[in-house]
Amino acid sequence: MVEFKGVTKKYANGTIALRDINLTVNEGGFVFVVGPSGSGKSTLIKLMLREEVASEGTTFVDGNDLLAMEKDEIPYFRRKLGVVFQDFRLLPKKTVYENVAFALEITESLPKEVRRKVPMALGLVGLSRKANSYPNQLSGGEQQRVSLARAIVNDPVLLLADEPTGNLDPETSWEIIKLLESINLKGTTVIVATHDNSVVDRMQKRVIEIGSGRIIRDQQKGFYNNDSSNS
Amino acid sequence: MTLRTAKYMIKEGVINLHKNKLMSIASISIVTASLLVFGIFLMISLNISSNMRMFGEQPEIVVFCQAELNEEQAEAIETEIKSNDVISSVIMVTKAEYFESVKEMFAENEGLISDLDESFLPVKFNLMLKDFDQCEDVTNALEEIDGVWDVQYPRKVVDFVQSITYWLRFISILLIIVLMVIAIFIMENTIKLTMNARKEEIDIMKYIGATDWFIRWPFIVEGIIIGFISAVIAFLLVAYGYSTIEHRFNEDIIHIGVEFVRLTKIDDISFLLVLLFLMMGTLVGSLGSYLSIRKYLEA
Repeated sequence: MVEFKGVTKKYANGTIALRDINLTVNEGGFVFVVGPSGSGKSTLIKLMLREEVASEGTTFVDGNDLLAMEKDEIPYFRRKLGVVFQDFRLLPKKTVYENVAFALEITESLPKEVRRKVPMALGLVGLSRKANSYPNQLSGGEQQRVSLARAIVNDPVLLLADEPTGNLDPETSWEIIKLLESINLKGTTVIVATHDNSVVDRMQKRVIEIGSGRIIRDQQKGFYNNDSSNS
Repeated sequence: MTLRTAKYMIKEGVINLHKNKLMSIASISIVTASLLVFGIFLMISLNISSNMRMFGEQPEIVVFCQAELNEEQAEAIETEIKSNDVISSVIMVTKAEYFESVKEMFAENEGLISDLDESFLPVKFNLMLKDFDQCEDVTNALEEIDGVWDVQYPRKVVDFVQSITYWLRFISILLIIVLMVIAIFIMENTIKLTMNARKEEIDIMKYIGATDWFIRWPFIVEGIIIGFISAVIAFLLVAYGYSTIEHRFNEDIIHIGVEFVRLTKIDDISFLLVLLFLMMGTLVGSLGSYLSIRKYLEA
């Protein structure tokens, strides 16, 4: 699903965010990308989203060569992905239902399909009863669930989550992570960048640790810290 | 684009317009103001050129037939002249009539022409044109007709009228372009003022896979509506203002006794005015929107 080889990302200001990253994530995988702030986690997610382009190396996502991708192909590529952010990024003037439906409307889906898929996605995240609420009437956890519903309503092959629990309390964070897991069980590949050690430790999924732009650990059934396995 | 998407774009455009009322009002004022300036200039230029045309219609083209042709033969030439669409009227002056006028000219020196009769004079035609700009072409065409000896027209007057009309058009077009560029620039910046608030919305749309045109269209619809409303307001103001002036002016000028200067009636030009305003308004609006969003889509 994701295949990065020898990837280096250097920003225009000279900062090197990632160095020689080699990374393969198979279809149906669930991966945590961990590391302190500024380690390069977000840059890695941005490369997968084709928001940034690698300075060196090759980057493939779902068979697409991101370096060779034309600007007008990007929207169509992104429709195959779902994306969730720390700050939810919901449209404040649209209701919960409209926010989710929006992801389908921009792909010019049939109204029939919108009416079928939106309630399904909202049902999956447990927000069917809040369909007509506005984002500011919801708690942080609920807002993140709306953003999750929006990310999955298109049946993405890959779901990218950048600090999805960053603004949430531990209990809500766990709910969101469990939701990501259930989405993963339906076949979607999930990559979560996080520095929330408690959820990583509880889930025991594959962990890729990034430090100073390099992969310093890639471990199946890993913990947030390498030594946590002993505790 | 499907009909459903088009409907969505229009709906979004209208909603945006409503949501950003202050910006919309500012943009409408600016576009209306530029259209007003344009409208005032247009009215002045239209009136100058229409009065020029009235003035320009006064000189006649005179076609002289060869002297040996008699009236019947001249009639064949008349038919040919009349077949030219640009000519609005043809008056034939027979040899006898021409001779009468020559006699009048020589009324004080009758002895000079006392030996002559009408036969030495050619039949001539006095012509009026619908469009004096085509004077040269018409003259050339007339000279080609068999049996025509000479064609005369007051070249200096025609040249003067033509050069004034030319410069007037040139300045109008230049002014229109300058005004439009300024209006587009102001409109672009006015829309940009609210763009920061919408930047997040645009980002979200990009993340979930909206194409650039999908993001752009509602903004362009918004610009078109702004342009349309501005055009209607500007038209009403110009039409009302102008018809008041025109009414007074034309009445006063009759009192003074000047007959050849006239302001064009608003009814005669309102269609042209509406059409130009709508075209310019929507063009300025949509282009302004397009430019203001361009930067946000490049990133």
